[in-house]
Amino acid sequence: MKYFKVIGVAVAFCLVLIPGNTFLCHAYEDTQCFQCHTSAKKLIEATREIAKARPALKSAETSGEG
Amino acid sequence: MEPLAPHEKIFVDSDIVDDENHGEIACHECHGGNPDDPNWNTAHKGVVKDPTYPDATTACGDCHDEINENYQKSLHVSLRPYKLIIDERASSNTVIRNKLGCAMNTHCSECHSSCGQCHISRPNSVEGGFLDGHLFQKKPPMQEVCTACHGSRIQKEYLGEHEGLLPSIHKEKNMKCDKCHTGEEMHGNGKDYVHRYDVENGPKCVDCHKEIYKREAKNVITHRIHKDKASCHVCHSQPYNNCSACHVGKDKQGLAFFKTKSSWVDFKIGLNPLKSEKRPEKFVTLRHVPVDKRTFDFYVKDALSNFDTLPTWKLATPHNIRLKTTQNASCNACHGNESLFLLEKDVENNEKKANKNVLVPVNLIPKKQKWQPK
Repeated sequence: MKYFKVIGVAVAFCLVLIPGNTFLCHAYEDTQCFQCHTSAKKLIEATREIAKARPALKSAETSGEG
Repeated sequence: MEPLAPHEKIFVDSDIVDDENHGEIACHECHGGNPDDPNWNTAHKGVVKDPTYPDATTACGDCHDEINENYQKSLHVSLRPYKLIIDERASSNTVIRNKLGCAMNTHCSECHSSCGQCHISRPNSVEGGFLDGHLFQKKPPMQEVCTACHGSRIQKEYLGEHEGLLPSIHKEKNMKCDKCHTGEEMHGNGKDYVHRYDVENGPKCVDCHKEIYKREAKNVITHRIHKDKASCHVCHSQPYNNCSACHVGKDKQGLAFFKTKSSWVDFKIGLNPLKSEKRPEKFVTLRHVPVDKRTFDFYVKDALSNFDTLPTWKLATPHNIRLKTTQNASCNACHGNESLFLLEKDVENNEKKANKNVLVPVNLIPKKQKWQPK
């Protein structure tokens, strides 16, 4: 039983405290930023809304080589 | 370069979590905003699109401290030579200079780069968009980054896009920009340069072609005879793009625009305006740049009242190098061939004074040769 406790503590230590482990470093996968920016569907909807609300930012008068 | 749809520009590849160096950094740590807000409109309040410009210290500096140290002096960030050249042509009148400053902020200052605009996204000046789902690119891709900005001259020359002209031999050898223009050159070395041609770790042809002056080298005689007299480009570049008369302004919606009067492919040898230890040659290739006395007239008249202090035909290093060119086909393909040299008759009347130091007087054109190297 004692050994199980030691192993349990070691596993918990690895999960929580060692930098770079999967449990810690990918916590942001649950953020709204990540959820939306990795979904083409959500981005298409959002960019369509933006396009409706905002006029073109580039002048049509530009001509020639820069 | 393929254009990106609006959603493609901001689509993040979920593989970013596997990036052992950057995968641990949450979006909001660099970009700000509210990561818990499900409404994208309010979640983006305070978001910084490019957290690496104008200062990359917070976003990149902790790990890339050596590169970040010189960041502000990298010419791709500072645009210093660009500003100095316009300053030199500008009027000394303070009111005019202030108005010119506004115009430059609107039109010229946008053409910078940054850590993010080379390693993560296309540059803003070509409307941005992630290179590969926000995955960090150690080497920026040539066509989406380098030639996205350096397009009308370098891209067309390098890829052989001008009708009747060949791509650079270096392109045919599958060399990308970074083969000559290293990261060290791009990132700067902490020195303030007056001109991009002064950059100490910029490329030189002899960095690779070390053998050309050695006795056993092919064409050694020709190379030795022309050493310090003509730049490599004089013999080895093809005709290249030139532009004239750029004018800037704002349209009825207040959007900035530019217009250039014309562009043409030409090849002109002139006197070296930037003679130095690094570039001692008497003859170099010259390119007409699109500056004009009236470039900034929309904002302020006579802004460039000292226009004649610098040539409009500038030292050029065209990127369409070939071993064999029309002008090096024989000695007399160049010697005595007036059409290759920038003569007074080739220059517009209102630019003669500005170019007086680069024009080749007819008596300086190398005479026809009877002797031919074996």
